[in-house]
Amino acid sequence: MTTQGTPYMFLLPGLVILGALLSVPLYKVVEYSLYDNVIVERNPTWVGLDNYTTLLTNPGYWSAGLNTLIFTVGSVLGHMVVGIGLALLVNTDISPRARTFFRSMLILPWIFTAVVVALNWQLLLNPFGLVNYVLQWLGLTSEPLDWLGNPDLAMWSLLLISTWRGYPFIMVSFLSGLQTVPKELYEAAEIDGAGFWHKFWHVTLPQLKPVIFGVALLDLIWTFQLFPLVWLSTGGGPGRATEVLSTLTFRLAFVDFQFSQAATVAVSILIISAAFTLLYLRNEARRL
Amino acid sequence: MIKTRITAWALAAATALTPLTAQAGEIEWLQWFAAEDTSGFYDQLVADFEAKHPDITVKLVTQPFGKVRESIVTDNAIGVGSDVLGLNMPWTKEFLDIGILEPLDDYLARDDNSFATGDLVEAPLGKIEGHTWMVPLNAFPFVMHVNMGLVREAGFDAPPATWEEFAEQAKAISALQDGTSGIGMPFSSQPPSNGPILTFLPLLYANGGRIMDGTTPNFDNPKVVETLQYLKDMQDAGGIAPGAASRTGGVDLEEFIAGRTGFLISPGVHSSSITGRNTEMDYTLARVPSNGEHAYRVHGWELGISADSDNKDDAWTFVNYLLSPEVNARAAKAANALPGNLKALDAVREGADETLIKQMDILEGDTPVEEMRQSPKAVGSWSVMTEEIQAMLRGDKTPQEAATAVQARWMDLAG
Repeated sequence: MTTQGTPYMFLLPGLVILGALLSVPLYKVVEYSLYDNVIVERNPTWVGLDNYTTLLTNPGYWSAGLNTLIFTVGSVLGHMVVGIGLALLVNTDISPRARTFFRSMLILPWIFTAVVVALNWQLLLNPFGLVNYVLQWLGLTSEPLDWLGNPDLAMWSLLLISTWRGYPFIMVSFLSGLQTVPKELYEAAEIDGAGFWHKFWHVTLPQLKPVIFGVALLDLIWTFQLFPLVWLSTGGGPGRATEVLSTLTFRLAFVDFQFSQAATVAVSILIISAAFTLLYLRNEARRL
Repeated sequence: MIKTRITAWALAAATALTPLTAQAGEIEWLQWFAAEDTSGFYDQLVADFEAKHPDITVKLVTQPFGKVRESIVTDNAIGVGSDVLGLNMPWTKEFLDIGILEPLDDYLARDDNSFATGDLVEAPLGKIEGHTWMVPLNAFPFVMHVNMGLVREAGFDAPPATWEEFAEQAKAISALQDGTSGIGMPFSSQPPSNGPILTFLPLLYANGGRIMDGTTPNFDNPKVVETLQYLKDMQDAGGIAPGAASRTGGVDLEEFIAGRTGFLISPGVHSSSITGRNTEMDYTLARVPSNGEHAYRVHGWELGISADSDNKDDAWTFVNYLLSPEVNARAAKAANALPGNLKALDAVREGADETLIKQMDILEGDTPVEEMRQSPKAVGSWSVMTEEIQAMLRGDKTPQEAATAVQARWMDLAG
């Protein structure tokens, strides 16, 4: 064996295991989507693309797709606005001890599991919970609102929960990006008479554009297929008001035992996620 | 040399494959019962069985209730299903469609059984597709838990016995103070999304109604509509806690324990949690208020045998052991439940929890009902009920429209 090949031989076992763990489930999901039903069907029948036709003519799929779009775009926007805002705040010139304290506290939502986040927000948003109490105390509502049980409010509530859970990642990424912006640019802007907003729009944002784009795409990919937070917060309800594609996949598989239909939805999620991933990789390649 | 190597490889392969093949005399029992017991009772139960049957070993596989249904299906699909299965009656029909369960008729007909089939709680034994598929380990009847402190504060001195009294008391309790309600209705879509089977069905049965006609859905009948209307009226009168569409069964129980609702319709077994965690509550339990019928919903922990089991006889020996009056009484006491073998009733009564004895007394002579075992898809069926009842309580559908919609969607599920 040549010396040049040796490192690849060391990598081989890891690559084989990783490749198998990625490709086998991927292959199986695509294969399952081409049968009438699997797992519960001992002799599945090959139906080709029939499941895809059924899916595309199913209003439930389109409704879940629309909810996924609203949830994903809303969540990513929420993460970006809150994350960038807080990153700017904790990057200001205050006492180092206070800065460390705020940075540590603000990152907390990221370390909680989805179960803890969902349970806490259910309690907060309960008709007898803190949010309703404060709103009524301020005179903003006359009676308690069922935030997670009212179809008109449930998606907004879910976006609030998702924003709270997801902003720390954006905040941390943006904060590290802020450290790389040369101070001279701000000094030059100040000499030109720029205020806070001018510096933000004309110095900070352009400098951090590649970071923001990359992080937003990553967030988009993760949020698009987010399952536990939605399932544990609303279960896709009330009715199907917050049903997204990931919860629809789970419902078809483990509630209705329609594993092939579930695999078909999963493949559609895979295709869209793959498109986002390609976009992300192209962006990263351009940065390098 | 080559021969030695081949032998070594063969032995190694055989050793590696050993765990995949069942050993004679070794059975696996998948259940959630031990997950709800902290005393180690089920380990002891298995140890006692093994001491009496040295040729059989039992591997206790415990999972939380919410995971067992999925595990049974997926384990079966890949051929590693357990021999003895802990079952929930509503799963019956969908498991039959997949072919997971072994018919138990021949086993039940054996002369050397430790019990008489006629002594077992009847609901799980009813034939579907001409066979019996499960036997009852124990039974949990549904009752109404009552916070007598709130009932008295509202000006009444006894729990409600009729629908009329129930509506009146629930409304009066809700009017007591901010944050207190007559009763909660857990109609959240969050998993397991089973609020209607916890609260709506007990009221329907107490109204003399049913949702199935054999194995055919029969949801859009006058009794169902009347019961839905009763719930809607009670909500409009303020008797039901706000937020039914986001209220889970767990939250409902917690709210009652915390003293924020006057009534809770749920399995009688919850009485131990209630009295254990709120020792100051003036608590009692009563029959679910009736509208002319003395029938109660019952569910339980059932046992079945996997159709793919290689050790069906040993599996039955274990099931047979669990159903003997003496062992069954121990299992019922451990779960604070009624026994699956009614011959064990007297043994259970001796030294049983006071609330368990009260359940036996108030329900004596009433008709136990369980229909979900005949419904087409367990979780799918009750999710549909939840969604339509949510729509009705919001005012988007009338009770009749909600009942019609459930019926249509169930017929779709039934295929």
